[in-house]
Amino acid sequence: MQLMSGRALLRLLTGAMLILFVVPITLGMAGTVLPAFGYMPTLAPGNGFLDVVSDSRFPRAVLLTLFTGLSATALVLLLSIIALVSLHRSRLWSWLSAAMPPLLAVPHAAIAVGLVFLISPSGAVVRMISPSLTGWSKPPDAWIVPDALGLSLILGLVIKEVPFLILAAAAQLSHLNVDASLKIGRTLGYSPARCWSRLILPRLYPRIRLVLLIIMGFNLTVVDMALLLGPSTPPTFSVFLMSLVNDPGSRAAASAGALLLCVLVAACFASLRLLEGLVSRVARARRRSGARGKGSRLFRILGKVVVVLMVVLSIASMLVLLIWSVTRRWRFPDMYPSTWSLHAWISEGADLLSPALSTLSISLSVAVLAMLATVVWLELERLGHAPKLDGLWYVPLLVPQVSLIFGWQAMAYWAGADGLWITVVYSHWLFSMPYVVLILAVAWREFDPYWNHAAHTLGAGYFRVLFRVRLPLMIKPLCQAAAVAIAVSVAQYLPTLLLGAGRHQTLAIELVTSFGGGDRRAIAALAVLQSLLPLCAFVLALAYPYHRSMKQARNNARAVPAGGAFE
Amino acid sequence: MNINSFLFNGFRACALTTVLATTVVQAQSVEPDSCWESVLEEARGQTVYFNAWGGSDNINKYLQWSAGRINDEYGVKLEHVKIGDIAEIVGQLEAARLAGRNENGNVDLMWVNGENFASLKSNDLLWGAFAEALPSASLLQSSEAIKYDFSVPVDGLEAAWGGAQLVFIVDSATTDTPPKSAAELLSFVEAGGRFSYPAPPAFHGTTLVKQFLIELLGPSEASSAMLAAPVDQADFEALTAPLWAYLDQLHPALRGKGKTWPNSAEMTRQLLDDGELDIAISFNPNEASAAVKKNQLPDSARTYVFDNGTIGNTHFVTIPWNATAKAGAMVVANFLQSPEAQARKADPEFWGEPTVLDVNALNDSDRALFDAIDIGIWALPIGDGNVLPEPHASWANALEQAWIERYGQ
Repeated sequence: MQLMSGRALLRLLTGAMLILFVVPITLGMAGTVLPAFGYMPTLAPGNGFLDVVSDSRFPRAVLLTLFTGLSATALVLLLSIIALVSLHRSRLWSWLSAAMPPLLAVPHAAIAVGLVFLISPSGAVVRMISPSLTGWSKPPDAWIVPDALGLSLILGLVIKEVPFLILAAAAQLSHLNVDASLKIGRTLGYSPARCWSRLILPRLYPRIRLVLLIIMGFNLTVVDMALLLGPSTPPTFSVFLMSLVNDPGSRAAASAGALLLCVLVAACFASLRLLEGLVSRVARARRRSGARGKGSRLFRILGKVVVVLMVVLSIASMLVLLIWSVTRRWRFPDMYPSTWSLHAWISEGADLLSPALSTLSISLSVAVLAMLATVVWLELERLGHAPKLDGLWYVPLLVPQVSLIFGWQAMAYWAGADGLWITVVYSHWLFSMPYVVLILAVAWREFDPYWNHAAHTLGAGYFRVLFRVRLPLMIKPLCQAAAVAIAVSVAQYLPTLLLGAGRHQTLAIELVTSFGGGDRRAIAALAVLQSLLPLCAFVLALAYPYHRSMKQARNNARAVPAGGAFE
Repeated sequence: MNINSFLFNGFRACALTTVLATTVVQAQSVEPDSCWESVLEEARGQTVYFNAWGGSDNINKYLQWSAGRINDEYGVKLEHVKIGDIAEIVGQLEAARLAGRNENGNVDLMWVNGENFASLKSNDLLWGAFAEALPSASLLQSSEAIKYDFSVPVDGLEAAWGGAQLVFIVDSATTDTPPKSAAELLSFVEAGGRFSYPAPPAFHGTTLVKQFLIELLGPSEASSAMLAAPVDQADFEALTAPLWAYLDQLHPALRGKGKTWPNSAEMTRQLLDDGELDIAISFNPNEASAAVKKNQLPDSARTYVFDNGTIGNTHFVTIPWNATAKAGAMVVANFLQSPEAQARKADPEFWGEPTVLDVNALNDSDRALFDAIDIGIWALPIGDGNVLPEPHASWANALEQAWIERYGQ
């Protein structure tokens, strides 16, 4: 009887977890679908689809979105492959793989702002070489940031996502026994590049397909980066939808547009699958041909240059932000600031403190809740009470955020829950879950069951084993997962904006709002701070398990001779 | 007309307090002072969410200072909700009205004028004639600019906060003869001068387009009358044809070639400092002084207006009908109109925006606050610009739509 009710309780817990996760997605989509088809006439009057399609900005916004989103995705894939092929196991590789994880933690908006300060005609790069090399005493006329074609946006997306894909691919390579493949290929006389394209990439690709889809979905639907780096007349489709959702009487059109965006993304996913089929057919034919190929030095050097340039650009963007945040005066074409000052940090510190605290309180809560939920779920799954639902957790990353959040906002509004702190935390939690589950599920499933058996044999109960053995042994992935959850939450712009009803001025919101006209020095300080929070989380996530193990080692070292002396 | 504004018009401030003061049920006295007392009492402890454009550090900082003062003095907590474009909030209020959320609204006080006010007023989204019940209302200038907002009667539905005029800022070290009319501006950019403006519907861009329209129509009685009336009474196509012809010529010569635009007027100021633009636009005659003092513009920055004058207007704060902290919002509005707050706002050290108070009618100590302000050589010299009236509020939307139709896609 006792056992039955325990099992029922666990089933209830499983159900509750699922509901917590699925309900906002379902209701969010419903809140987008209903107004789009005219089923919420009081909140969203008008003929949604007709209104959005007949808007004069619609065709070019869609074209621009396809152009920027698809080019960025193609470049990310291409550059990541080049990086893997030409840099794997090189000295540069170890340098890059150290530089990339921190770059991953830096929020998109911060990188975007840094990039603008870097590559504008009056930006830091031109200042560096003017007028000495260029002769320019005024900023050149040749380009402008952001540009009408969306090239700045593409660049921003690419430098932010190449590290993401490379790291995801590198993690998968460890399962593929790359060195053996290379050795066999080389023995058979294939060039290294051919070893990769014939032997490794075909096996690697299916393993990174999901990440690629996530990147593609993100590129096609991003809002904050498109606001900062993208053109405005017309803007990308998702930014255009943002202006509609804020426009009186256009919610139906915005919702319909958000559904069209879903369709657009789905169509791009489908096209990618078609393209995959095509490529694999060609590749199969080429594999059979048996041509060995010559290693192309030019290709490898070019690959190295481009990849290093990407990483250098992101690091330089961060440096420029840091410099501007301690600048008092830095006029064009001076190479560096003429007056330095901590003004933005100290005198204006109050402006930073309140958004920083707001960001911190939200992101810490999100991290705690995401870890709690994931650990509970993985334990339920391990003990056979919950099904393995790996695909489900990725849904929030594959559905366009705009489409989900518009509906969620409508529903929250209807329920009177908009503007609540908990609503904002809930939305961040939903978007951090995929990453936390991804990291912890691997650790959970690789965990050696021996530890459990040993602890149980020694008479420890379930919770004692969980808290004294299982969790402490997984301290590394747990810390990593927490850091990632914090990074995801710190970067959230759209959910905070739309669900927070302006009540939760996080660093992400402040940064994007003030970019339009704030003091450049204050903007830089905001961006630096927004980057520092997740970076600190990552450093702590690395340092804490280390510190812990060192402490244990010291304790053990002390304990052993003492014990020895008495024996 | 909603019940509150009916009460307002009937009983003025005191009726308000009976509506407001749920704790002070028997507010019997009809003396204005005692009524304000009960507003103060009701307001104590409230949090006022003030939705105001958040794109300027000076303004943000000024509101932070105000929040501190208001908290000390009245125990009201002021939260500045930073908005990109207040039209979004108008849209949210319309949605709230449609959804039947008639209380506990998210917005207690908002910064508006022009077409946004017109839209709030015509859609019945405002609380009532609270502005007339504010003690500071007696200190305001008694001018048309305070009584009408883009030709729409204010009717006490919003409280005047500041005055503004479209001005241009140049770096006199690099630009010695700045263009002083729409026609001169065209030859200026065609000769390689660098200029651009925020794309409408950004507020400054729309204002500049209106400025061009006024100039191109020429200073006649007939055209002024036409612009002061709602746009649907005019032959929009014919009237605006010269404007589009002008912009068609202007845009290819702009920085960004009429394809990309600065995000805001503040960004034009930043780009002027960077040398990417030669002329910045602003709606604050003293902005350049504030910017020079903050090391955001060179000492050689100067402010000027077109020879025939530029558009000026007044901006206001207002309380939506469903605001949660109405008494608190009134206290904030009253503070923002106070000589102390207005004098600080007029000082380029902090914000540098012209006051809405009748300075000459203030008492000596209050007037001294204003007399002490030095607007600096970088600001628009006082009395140096003819102020042109705003066209009727409905023109803004029509011009924005037509502009987007032509250049924004």
